[in-house]
Amino acid sequence: MIRIFGLRAYAGVAVVLTALQACAPNVYYPPRGERIPPPVVEQGTQGPVVSPAPRPPEVIAPQPMPAPRAQPPAVLALLDTAERQANAGDLESAAASLERAIRIDPRNAVLWYHLATVRLSQGDAQAAEQLATKSTSLAPGNSVQQARNWQLIARARAAQNDVKGAAAAEQRARELSRQ
Amino acid sequence: MARRRTRGSNRSRRKRVRKSFPWFRLLLVLLLVFAGYVAWLDYQVTSQFDGKRWSLPARVYARPLELYAGRVLTADQFASELRALNYRSVSSVQQGGQYSRNREVFHVTSRPFDFWDGEEPARNLRVTFSGSNIVALEDRSTGKPLSLARLDPVLVGSFYPAHNEDRVLLKLEEVPVSLTNALIAIEDRNFYRHHGVSPLAILRAMWANVRARGVVQGGSTLTQQLVKNFFLTNERSLVRKLNEAIMAVLLELHYSKDEILEAYLNEVYLAQDGQRSINGFGLASYFYFDRPLSELSVEQYALLVGLVKGPSYYNPWKHPDRARERRNLVLDIMAQLQLLEPEQAVRAKSQQLSIGSSGRKAINTFPAFLELVRRQLQTDYRDEDITSEGLSIFTTLDPQVQWALEESLEQRLAEIEAARGSQRGKLEGAAVVTSVQGGEVLAVAGGRSPKFAGFNRALDASRQVGSLLKPAVYLTALEQPDRYTLATLLDDSPLTWKARNGDVWEPQNYDKENHGQVPLYLALAHSYNVSTARLGLELGVDAVIRTLRRMGVEGKLNPYPSLLLGATEMTPIQVTRMYQTYASGGFDTPLRAITAVLAADKAPLQRYPLNVRAAIKPEYAHLITTAMMYAVRIGTGQAIYHVLPADRNVAGKTGTTDDLRDSWFAGFTGDRLGVVWIGRDDNQSTGLTGSTGALRVWRDLFAHFDDSSWMQTATDGIEYQWIDPVSGLLADSFCPDAVQLPFITGSAPQQYAACAQGSVLPEAVDWFKELFR
Repeated sequence: MIRIFGLRAYAGVAVVLTALQACAPNVYYPPRGERIPPPVVEQGTQGPVVSPAPRPPEVIAPQPMPAPRAQPPAVLALLDTAERQANAGDLESAAASLERAIRIDPRNAVLWYHLATVRLSQGDAQAAEQLATKSTSLAPGNSVQQARNWQLIARARAAQNDVKGAAAAEQRARELSRQ
Repeated sequence: MARRRTRGSNRSRRKRVRKSFPWFRLLLVLLLVFAGYVAWLDYQVTSQFDGKRWSLPARVYARPLELYAGRVLTADQFASELRALNYRSVSSVQQGGQYSRNREVFHVTSRPFDFWDGEEPARNLRVTFSGSNIVALEDRSTGKPLSLARLDPVLVGSFYPAHNEDRVLLKLEEVPVSLTNALIAIEDRNFYRHHGVSPLAILRAMWANVRARGVVQGGSTLTQQLVKNFFLTNERSLVRKLNEAIMAVLLELHYSKDEILEAYLNEVYLAQDGQRSINGFGLASYFYFDRPLSELSVEQYALLVGLVKGPSYYNPWKHPDRARERRNLVLDIMAQLQLLEPEQAVRAKSQQLSIGSSGRKAINTFPAFLELVRRQLQTDYRDEDITSEGLSIFTTLDPQVQWALEESLEQRLAEIEAARGSQRGKLEGAAVVTSVQGGEVLAVAGGRSPKFAGFNRALDASRQVGSLLKPAVYLTALEQPDRYTLATLLDDSPLTWKARNGDVWEPQNYDKENHGQVPLYLALAHSYNVSTARLGLELGVDAVIRTLRRMGVEGKLNPYPSLLLGATEMTPIQVTRMYQTYASGGFDTPLRAITAVLAADKAPLQRYPLNVRAAIKPEYAHLITTAMMYAVRIGTGQAIYHVLPADRNVAGKTGTTDDLRDSWFAGFTGDRLGVVWIGRDDNQSTGLTGSTGALRVWRDLFAHFDDSSWMQTATDGIEYQWIDPVSGLLADSFCPDAVQLPFITGSAPQQYAACAQGSVLPEAVDWFKELFR
């Protein structure tokens, strides 16, 4: 029996990680239902004054995340299933379960990372590298997740005999770990 | 005496033998020929029965509906999904395939189903909705919350072999005993005792026929009927009858009664649906009652058994009285043979026929989507495998989206034609909807009439894309952050470009005006042609082509400047692939309509995995999609917000081609990407821009869903700055229309705009507050 990854343990870590994102300065999840109006200009005696302070109508701005986002139970259940399948050696089913989870929560960087891990175990290093890159793009400010992704990319590149690329990825992972 | 007689008789016999010798030889030869013939029949019977007995069409399924607390889904959408699955609405749920609804609370007992990753068991569910969400999912048996459950998927179509036979294969143990009992009681009471033919039955039938002065009863056993259907033609002759009898006996020699019965249950002809013949009880149950055999009541079994004698004569839609009489006769016989309690029979006889919707069933509900599935299958399977191997094909089709798309397209085109008093039915349309991150195709419309399986414009109509191409030009620029940012001023003054061969190109803006110096993000938002052309020429057409290739654009791209303004043809599905790259934050994601294929025995054959390829660096994707959000907020796409809530972020782009021949809109929320095209098949003017045509369809479609807002992915390496849109320089609180724009870190302008008075925004606000305290 090959133990591919400690999914269960990691799912817990993921919750903590997403909670950590709350402190990351440059991540902003716009709360739903809150309309941010375009800046309104009022004519005052002191000349043109912007009121209220102009805020972007629709873009990510450097603001703290409102609340930590927990993994939904449906996603946790599928992570559990994927772990069981991967540990039983049924990697293709594990991949299917992770894809099912991604369908439910498509912006969850943890899921993309695990899918990359499974792909690498299946020997598809190219796909693994791309999926890990995707995970990184969904984990802005989350240096722990990003470091994991770069470690995986290093392994994927090594598997493709890209020694230089692997070393660069390794270096990147170390830098991120130090943050 | 005895000896002599013996000898004499010996002699005489020898004589006779010698005399009759040719007869004996003939007999022997005949016997041999007959034996050979029987052996040949035997070979026929065994090889066909053992080998592939039926060619089974591939069944195509929609995505299964996933249920979990927190899911965005309304109670009405859930109810429509249950109806599509032919779940029966009842007051109290007793068995699989039933549900009850009390406002926002559903009790459902789901059907078990074999998925690629194993069987989903039947579950007793309680699903509670509030507004547009599932708020609770529980197991009714245990009362405990369930984290996840999925329903069986809607069957959306089948791929049939040329001869159009269709069936749902059943194993004997899946067939309810009361059905087989009724069948044997009516058609072949001695089934378990005879050896293929039943002389007694033939005599009984003859007697009955004589009494009735006509053919009222056939003496054929189930085995003979099976042989007739299986191996022989419909010709009525003595030879055929003889063949039938011999083969029936042979079949009984080789196979058990159960094997023969199972084959019969799957083979018997039970209805005709246009070109398609309905064989076997499994499919007949769906055909007549819209649900699986296991969910039928006893009077429904009786009707099916009664139909064996003559599906068209007893057609319950055309001849309900005949059908009812026949059904009740079956029920009487069942009661006689004590297969039913008398009171059960009385109750069953009083029931309505309770058949499903009449008339021809649409075999393939969503032909445009199915065509896409077939094409993706054809890259991996031979045609005959698709139509005969009984594959189960799991697709990404979302019926909710598909219904909404069909309705939006059909109604909006009719409205446009009515409002403009133009000729009806001339406008055509096509659309593709996908999931933003996974590239799964959720819905396809190939034309305005969704049930018409003709020209599939979504896949095959190559049309000029117009301004849909522009984001690729701007992206090419933004990938050089030292030269271009979203705030860079572009020159929109008149442009005359001379080619080497002397040709002159003078692109015009849609409003025939020039707009001077325009910041880059606004030039895209307002879709200005002149500044875009000038920018593209600066970058080089080849550089833009390289960008397009990276984004998954295949096919021919002419390296002429007119390409910059979209003078190239693409099909809606190709456009979708291109926009998928923007929508997914820079990842080229091959569009998938199929997730997995199962063999007839439910063994996993193939999975179509999720793959992505980094095509645009996420930071650059961040910049270009920001400009596309402005296109929808304040640019050519702003009509979106006449209907969609203002707090929902949408990014997108309109497209309009010369003489208004094509009207396009491609846009995405946090969940879905939709590409809509409107045009005419004869390529005449539609009189529509992207905004007055395709955008309206897109808007109607997305108004059906409570999608999440489009959100940027990567923010690392990005910084936001306040910008004065007039000068493209840094702004402060004294600049009236300042906007906050993203920049690749370090690439933002350093200079302040003229409107700025050196104040820093937050402090200015504090100061202002102090003043008025």
